[in-house]
Amino acid sequence: MQIAISGGKGGTGKSTVAINVAVELAKKFKLILADLDVEAPNDHLLLGVELQNEEEVNQFMPKFDYSKCIKCRKCAEVCEEHAIITLKDGTPFLMPTLCSGCRACEIVCPVPGAIQEGSRLIGHTYVTPTPYGFTLVTGKLREGEERSMPLVVAAKKRLKNLDYEILIVDTAAGTGNTVSKAIEGSQLLIAVTEPTPLGIHDTELILQLGKLMGIETWVVINRANLGDVNEVYRRAERYNAKVIAEIPYSENIVKTYVSGTPIVTTDYPEAEIFRRIAERIYEFLRG
Amino acid sequence: MQIVIASGKGGVGKSTVTASLLYLLKDEYRLIAVDADAEAPNLGLLLGVTEWEEEREHIGAKIARINTETCVRCGICQMRCPYECIYVDDEGNYVVNELTCEGCNVCGLVCPVPGTITLEQVRSGVIRRAITKYGFPIISAQLDVGRPESGKLVTEEKEWAKQIMKEQNLEHMIVDSAAGIGCQVIASVGGADVAILIAEPTPASLSDVQRVYKVVQHFHEPAYLIINKADINPGFTKLREWAEEEGIPVLGEIPYDSAIPKSMSMLKPFIEVFPESKASQAIREIAETIKEEIIK
Ligand code: SF4
Ligand code: SF4
Ligand code: SF4
Ligand code: SF4
Repeated sequence: MQIAISGGKGGTGKSTVAINVAVELAKKFKLILADLDVEAPNDHLLLGVELQNEEEVNQFMPKFDYSKCIKCRKCAEVCEEHAIITLKDGTPFLMPTLCSGCRACEIVCPVPGAIQEGSRLIGHTYVTPTPYGFTLVTGKLREGEERSMPLVVAAKKRLKNLDYEILIVDTAAGTGNTVSKAIEGSQLLIAVTEPTPLGIHDTELILQLGKLMGIETWVVINRANLGDVNEVYRRAERYNAKVIAEIPYSENIVKTYVSGTPIVTTDYPEAEIFRRIAERIYEFLRG
Repeated sequence: MQIVIASGKGGVGKSTVTASLLYLLKDEYRLIAVDADAEAPNLGLLLGVTEWEEEREHIGAKIARINTETCVRCGICQMRCPYECIYVDDEGNYVVNELTCEGCNVCGLVCPVPGTITLEQVRSGVIRRAITKYGFPIISAQLDVGRPESGKLVTEEKEWAKQIMKEQNLEHMIVDSAAGIGCQVIASVGGADVAILIAEPTPASLSDVQRVYKVVQHFHEPAYLIINKADINPGFTKLREWAEEEGIPVLGEIPYDSAIPKSMSMLKPFIEVFPESKASQAIREIAETIKEEIIK
């Protein structure tokens, strides 16, 4: 069973919801939390743990053997990223930062061995035990790399070898294809939103994505007292999405966020709201 | 001059600060604003833009399509797709997931039945232009749901902005960058003269801003830091320490103000509706420093 937590725009508090729900549900299930916000992974900081079990994510990059290359330009023509430029006489050169590692060039090259296996480090994945009884899997894109898709794919691959009953996926902001990749395979999508006009606009996009993917979608309104929640309810209804919780702005949430302690492990009254969200998910999981 | 404002992650108040800075700089300089967060654009909204004067569709994304009539169901495409975007539907047909496809065409190259897989150009989103009620133009983009390569939209936006700058003889482009460090951010930061980083004093924000700073360094751009919500976490000194170690000048500190969401609901820059608040005072001082140190 996989549940995705997303938010349309950044900073709505989806990581806060993800980690707290994970801590609660880990009491009942063998659980993994996957931080697939590979451009800005923060769940480990919110959980107060150091990333562990680092694995490199390397990506294919063509390496030309100029003694074999016949300068036919096929590799350059087929490269959708325009990562290969050719000199006047047809000699190919790679612009490494543009290469997505797709291997299209290697596939079309007519001369065996003219394109050899090169590779580039594009990021890391981590598998970190947490003191809360669940494992955190993290994908982290290397600075200067443009594409987050391969890291999301690599982190998801690493998940496949791990054993769990429940997988909670914390996605990046936005609604581009890397967010859909992170969400892919989920039975439930939880959109964390804010009741500001901006938050509502972005929520609408994530609700659209949920609908396109055919995934049951719920809405959690964060900082609910700082805007007009009715508008969020109206939008949610339009997409057949249930609003399942309202979280007020609270100093306590900020405090726990900052100190790397999930609020559900404290006695603050706000902890109850997160426990109830976890309860709702628990009921959903049991069908 | 091209100034990019970045944070590494959303939620630290970047657009709020950007809107207020634009408001404060607009009278003295001829500006153009670029909202480079194509996946969650909101600078336009914060500047009260509800209608766009011109909208251009951007056809740029490519998506693979499989013709089920000619497909022999060999499964090679599925095996070779680097991003695992091909699945078998309930009827046993091989289908491309259009919401995750990167358009690399590897499937098309490996398919043994010619013409079965085609790469089609599809709309990736729109780019829009408006004049804000404050007199300066804004360019904004919106990526369609599930499309790849928001970076290309941002590059296109900046091209359009440059063209307008030339036509209208504008001096400065202020780019509000997207969250993260990926293609959108690289497109936002690339070509800028100066980067202004915004962070809040939390471990998460520090980690994000450190990552985006590496991207900025890659382009050899001078960087400055604004500390937002400076008082939410009094014990946390690491953000300032980091800036000091890296030699990043701190332009100022803005205290947290609970009225900020209110200004957002009014679709106005914070500084316009709450000019007397402490946060506005701090933003005003920062704008002065920007005038003296950066724009000159
Ligand atoms: S691997 Fe793909 S992106 Fe890289 S050079 Fe070859 S065709 Fe281009
Ligand atoms: S396709 Fe192969 S042989 Fe042709 S130019 Fe490229 S590397 Fe050389
Ligand atoms: S174009 Fe590339 S990403 Fe899309 S389905 Fe084909 S192989 Fe996969
Ligand atoms: S490679 Fe071509 S023929 Fe084979 S399953 Fe894919 S689309 Fe069908």
